[in-house]
Amino acid sequence: MKGQKYFAKVASALAVTSILLAGCGSSEEEGGTNATSEDELTVDIFQFKVEFKDQFESLVELYEEENPGVNINVKTVGGGNDYAATLKTSFSSGDEPDIFNVGGPSEVEDYRDSLADLSDTKAAEAALEGTLSGVTDGDEILGLPFNQEGYGLIYNKRIFEEAGINPDEILTHEDLVNAVETLDSQKEDLGIEAVFALGAKETWILGNHLANAFLAPEFNQDLMEAYKSDTVTFEKGDEMKRFLDLQNEYSVQPTVSLDYSQQVEELFSLENVAMIQQGNWIYNTVHEMDPELAENNIGILPIPVEGFEGKIPVGVPNNWVVNNNSSDEVIQASKDFLDWMYTSDTGKEFVLNEFKFIPAYEGFDTTKIADPLSQEIYEYASEGNTLGWVFMGTPLAWNEEKLAVRMQKYLSGDLAWEELETQAITEWENSRQ
Amino acid sequence: MNNRKLSFWLFLTPVLLGLGLVVVLPFVYGLIFSFTDWNGITANNFLGFENYINLFKDAEFRAAMGFTVLFSVVAIILLNFLGLALALLVTRKLKSSNFLRTVFFMPNLIGGLILGFIWQFIFISVFDDIGQALGIEALSGWLSTTNTGFWGLIILTCWQMAGYIMIIYIAYLQNIPNELIEAAEIDGASSWQRFRHITFPLVAPAFTISMFLTLSNSFKIYDQNLSLTGGGPYNSTQMVAMEIVKTAFSENEMAFAQAKGVIFFLIVSIIAITQVYYNKKREVDM
Repeated sequence: MKGQKYFAKVASALAVTSILLAGCGSSEEEGGTNATSEDELTVDIFQFKVEFKDQFESLVELYEEENPGVNINVKTVGGGNDYAATLKTSFSSGDEPDIFNVGGPSEVEDYRDSLADLSDTKAAEAALEGTLSGVTDGDEILGLPFNQEGYGLIYNKRIFEEAGINPDEILTHEDLVNAVETLDSQKEDLGIEAVFALGAKETWILGNHLANAFLAPEFNQDLMEAYKSDTVTFEKGDEMKRFLDLQNEYSVQPTVSLDYSQQVEELFSLENVAMIQQGNWIYNTVHEMDPELAENNIGILPIPVEGFEGKIPVGVPNNWVVNNNSSDEVIQASKDFLDWMYTSDTGKEFVLNEFKFIPAYEGFDTTKIADPLSQEIYEYASEGNTLGWVFMGTPLAWNEEKLAVRMQKYLSGDLAWEELETQAITEWENSRQ
Repeated sequence: MNNRKLSFWLFLTPVLLGLGLVVVLPFVYGLIFSFTDWNGITANNFLGFENYINLFKDAEFRAAMGFTVLFSVVAIILLNFLGLALALLVTRKLKSSNFLRTVFFMPNLIGGLILGFIWQFIFISVFDDIGQALGIEALSGWLSTTNTGFWGLIILTCWQMAGYIMIIYIAYLQNIPNELIEAAEIDGASSWQRFRHITFPLVAPAFTISMFLTLSNSFKIYDQNLSLTGGGPYNSTQMVAMEIVKTAFSENEMAFAQAKGVIFFLIVSIIAITQVYYNKKREVDM
């Protein structure tokens, strides 16, 4: 009798323990997916773009149908910071993906030892000039661009028309000021709250995008030049200040608590403001709010930078990379998949119509670019009217945590602009020591 | 006897394992990493106390610390005051007291992130509308200055936590023997005297628990901070937890952030231990 009780106790305790251990054990199984089973290759993709998760998965399914020997697992973790942290975790736990994403040169450096050379892929050959500069190391091409993105001042065509402004005539800062003043004087008739909505709560709007337009000339539009630079001089600091002041003065107040969703959804999509500084990625959001507005009534104006009028900052937001530590077959299969996505007909059609990307590769039928904003940006890009995206080459988090935070302080009236420049320069130099 | 010992340990193993794997082990690891230049992937050099020295020079960390301390002081006072007041209200044999208890406790059931977003809407849009309708300028532009950000966080925390603290006070209030109060009443004690000399000393243990809870809670606040102000404007309403996360995940200085975490842990534990020690001394035994 006693023995039985004892046995029951031990058994139940063991059962509880095994449940706990089972929880820990499952990750080990997942870790083993790199191994090739008899005739099937498994490629693990770990990507960050939540917005196109469903479309991407259906593309993967198409590929698997065409290539029965390959099995692709897609794991998506969203949002910049979470992705970087999760990727790090998976590397330190040994559960490394075969294909993953890197942003700019600093991440390339972090993962340098794990990146396979992709210069022999067809996609690398087809990549547009300049789109590979952030991921090239000597002769090796370590990444393939996702797509291109561009930003500027997105405006409401109807409001501009009613105010009698021709957007094509706005090139210089003075032109812009005139247009803004015209709009401001007719605010009531036009039914708008203010001319701009400056989303100054979002550090990336200030530190990445706004600042980039005025920092790019200093580094010859070259991401890598910024990445290697020991200092920053704010050559065009006065223009940056002027442009920031203009947006702030004519914006819905208070700007420092105005976030992305208020800016794009509440204020721009509901036609409460005439212009916002944003990029082509807002198209889907605007479309959800008001398809009519999105399809016919929005356009993009370049940010006026002296000497570079009529140019739009266009860049590559993210890159695909292949893990060097995977087996040779898996590396090859990964390259094949990426090639297929950007160079096969099925893949190309998907990239344009389903992902709604502005392609970073040759050989696309660009008349099929899905939305007018992207179309316009692609035109600027193909005519070479672009500014570089240097913010990916600044010291890590410098633009958002150091520069943008000080811009917020400046907007709150607690910091002088000269002081901001000096402090931001010091921060840059400190992190590049 | 032997059997008992064995099954005792067997039943304890799952918990010990869990605790060891997810709390103790990472803590030790973290401690070790804080002395290196770990970047999340590899640690190449042993730096000794360099991270800890730099940390005291980091203006942003000190600012966040100052803000957190100020926030905690105000939050603890207000929370305990509100919690006790609500508890006194609902123990007064009102008809609606059960209903009120539920209502006061309810905010606690909503997650911090969502609460943050709800209150953000209230502060930014609703406050603004009310302010415009009534012509009160002070209600416009909330969360866009450090001050309004601070009070916004205080209001949010009080709204969320007061109900929880109330429950603790209720439990102790109901344990006070009626005889004592009646006796005091017969002796002619006023209701303030009864509260001050009987009720208050007898709920002192609740005070210990609540102080400890509110203190550690307001020190460690992260999600409410993130969703309500996001540290804005210009990181002036950023609390320590958020500052540490930023150092680690946006600035990618993992080891430095880890060192900050260790210091944060030390500060919180020292405050908490001292406070529990002193409050214990003051409690009245019945």
